Amino acid sequence: MRSIQTQFTFPLSSVKPLERLSQYRAYCLEATRNVCRKGVHRRELSPASGAKLEAAGEIAGLPYSRCPATGSLFLSELPDPAEWATLLSHVCGYRRSPEGFHRELAQSRAENVYVPKLEWIQQTLQLQGLSRPKVLEAATPPSDLAPLLLQSGLFSDVESADEMDLAHSANARETNGLGSVEAAVLLESLDRVDDPVALLNAVEGRLAPGGLLFVTALVCSGFDAEALGWKNLYLYPPDRTNFFSLGGLRLLLERAGFSLIEVSTPGVLDLEIFEAHLRMDPDLSLSPFEKRILESDPETRRAFQSFLQERGLSSFARIVAKKPRGASE
Amino acid sequence: MNCLIFGYGYMGKIRHQALKQHPDVRRIAVFDPAVDPPADQDGLFLPADQEIPWDQFDAVFVCTPNNVTTDLCVEALRKCGRVFCEKPPGRNWEDFCRIAETARKTPGHVLVFGFNHRLHPSVQAAKSLIGKEGLGEVLYVKGTYGKSGGLKYRESWRNKPEISGGGILLDQGIHMLHLFAYFLGKLQVAESLLTDSFWGCGVEDNAFVLLRSQQGVPAFLHSSATLWKHTFRLEIGCRDGYLIASGLLSRTGSYGREQLVIGRRQFEDEAMALGNPREEIVHFDRDDSWELEVKEFLTAIREGRAALHGTLEDAQHAMELVRDAYALSRQPTPAARRD
Repeated sequence: MRSIQTQFTFPLSSVKPLERLSQYRAYCLEATRNVCRKGVHRRELSPASGAKLEAAGEIAGLPYSRCPATGSLFLSELPDPAEWATLLSHVCGYRRSPEGFHRELAQSRAENVYVPKLEWIQQTLQLQGLSRPKVLEAATPPSDLAPLLLQSGLFSDVESADEMDLAHSANARETNGLGSVEAAVLLESLDRVDDPVALLNAVEGRLAPGGLLFVTALVCSGFDAEALGWKNLYLYPPDRTNFFSLGGLRLLLERAGFSLIEVSTPGVLDLEIFEAHLRMDPDLSLSPFEKRILESDPETRRAFQSFLQERGLSSFARIVAKKPRGASE
Repeated sequence: MNCLIFGYGYMGKIRHQALKQHPDVRRIAVFDPAVDPPADQDGLFLPADQEIPWDQFDAVFVCTPNNVTTDLCVEALRKCGRVFCEKPPGRNWEDFCRIAETARKTPGHVLVFGFNHRLHPSVQAAKSLIGKEGLGEVLYVKGTYGKSGGLKYRESWRNKPEISGGGILLDQGIHMLHLFAYFLGKLQVAESLLTDSFWGCGVEDNAFVLLRSQQGVPAFLHSSATLWKHTFRLEIGCRDGYLIASGLLSRTGSYGREQLVIGRRQFEDEAMALGNPREEIVHFDRDDSWELEVKEFLTAIREGRAALHGTLEDAQHAMELVRDAYALSRQPTPAARRD
């Protein structure tokens, strides 16, 4: 297995500025509360490990549970899938509206979020000797990535699917006559969907043996997430309905039958996210060590971020998993 | 499959482990008169005073010191026909030629030489990233491979010329020469300088070898037994970037974490600072090279075909380069005085 460090850097303001996030976050929380008022069921078992979930805390009145085996966090109560799908679609629309922050950042998000992911996918396909595969991307439509996948010329065909439809299709493990794909991409989908296990099973069902699955997620085991805890403003539903730890994410994929090719945390924003929170809340308590790191010179900060990447301790995770060709693989 | 391992030193044990994991292997036996059979390996060792029951084995692994490699390889080819031979393939060019000649006279033989480094994950990844679809054609290759020797260095058979036939170039440098050929194809030795500068064993403890490919691409090897920090580093300069494979997932971890640095060429129009391009570092935490090598050998036997790597041609080219490097070099310089 491999893990990747990168020197590619970009500012937080170019992809998800915390100052601009407040309004969107408040909208998401309110929309989630509204949809949950229509009725919810309680999640009892950890999607990551299958262990019984334990009460952990709450975000603006919405309870989260913790997986005792992996430390992953999960929104405790969920409405039915149709309501959840509507919610995801709703907040996606808001994110792209003039009130949201994605529209004006479209260009910089394409450069800093999507282009590096395309390079990652391209390089991995080369390393794995996979030439022009058919790819399935699951997202809340409309997908920002799908057009770039098409334009890249890396794939023989690009299929874009609604992640909630995919997770809740009648025979998720069957290909349903849609044909198999040699690659699949889930960018933070596992963070959002109500049933990440079902989504993975559906994707596994569509992947040909030896096919590759590309996953990105924010992880609660990363530096800024660990340091901020419940004060982390990037922790809110539905975008972070599931806040896996890196170990939880690995376990989730392995339990779904995948073998892991790459597990990386090539995040570049941990310190900046921490700093942005501090700007918004100067009373945020810091340990002397955290304070020292934040006040250190640029070279020390770069080295620290590099260390987080190298040791799987950043809060942005990237995984490549492979559907085994047979029992022996 | 029934497999017989000759020699139960460092490599013999590694092959034993790899064979134990292979599903087609039914029986493993070891022949090594120099080793007292360990108590926990009941039945593994063949009696040292009896004839080798060649007909009981489907494959033979020759993991012995260099001075017996050739005789054993030749005998195993004649009596079994399916032989895996550790590098180096003999002490010298003449030894190798005896093996090659026997192989040519043995129809249907399967002969593989242990050049596992090309199967290391960093090397495989580097190979997939060069060329048209990747970082472009190769401009140069530079390899450093070395170890620190250690207190028992002089006592090792590897450094006794009558047993080993050569020093660090033949022992370790040959791996890097094989890798150069893996990336560049056939090479010629342009210049070579060998020294016995510290250990004074009568074999080289440092080798500096300059080579060029048939297309004129230069390659440079520094093979050393005086690298006080164990080092494996293979740099591949390409038209559109560079690759640096370093570290090896060895048993002790002394060569460092295996990784591949991928850098893309950036001039002033793309980068903040010229000459400091953005890099990605891929870390690897699993080395399957031993298993893959054994698997390929046993699969070739099962399928009745020639093996795809570690071939007679691979070994021949590596030994040609070693031969020419020795020939071009001056006599080893005297050992430096040690305090």
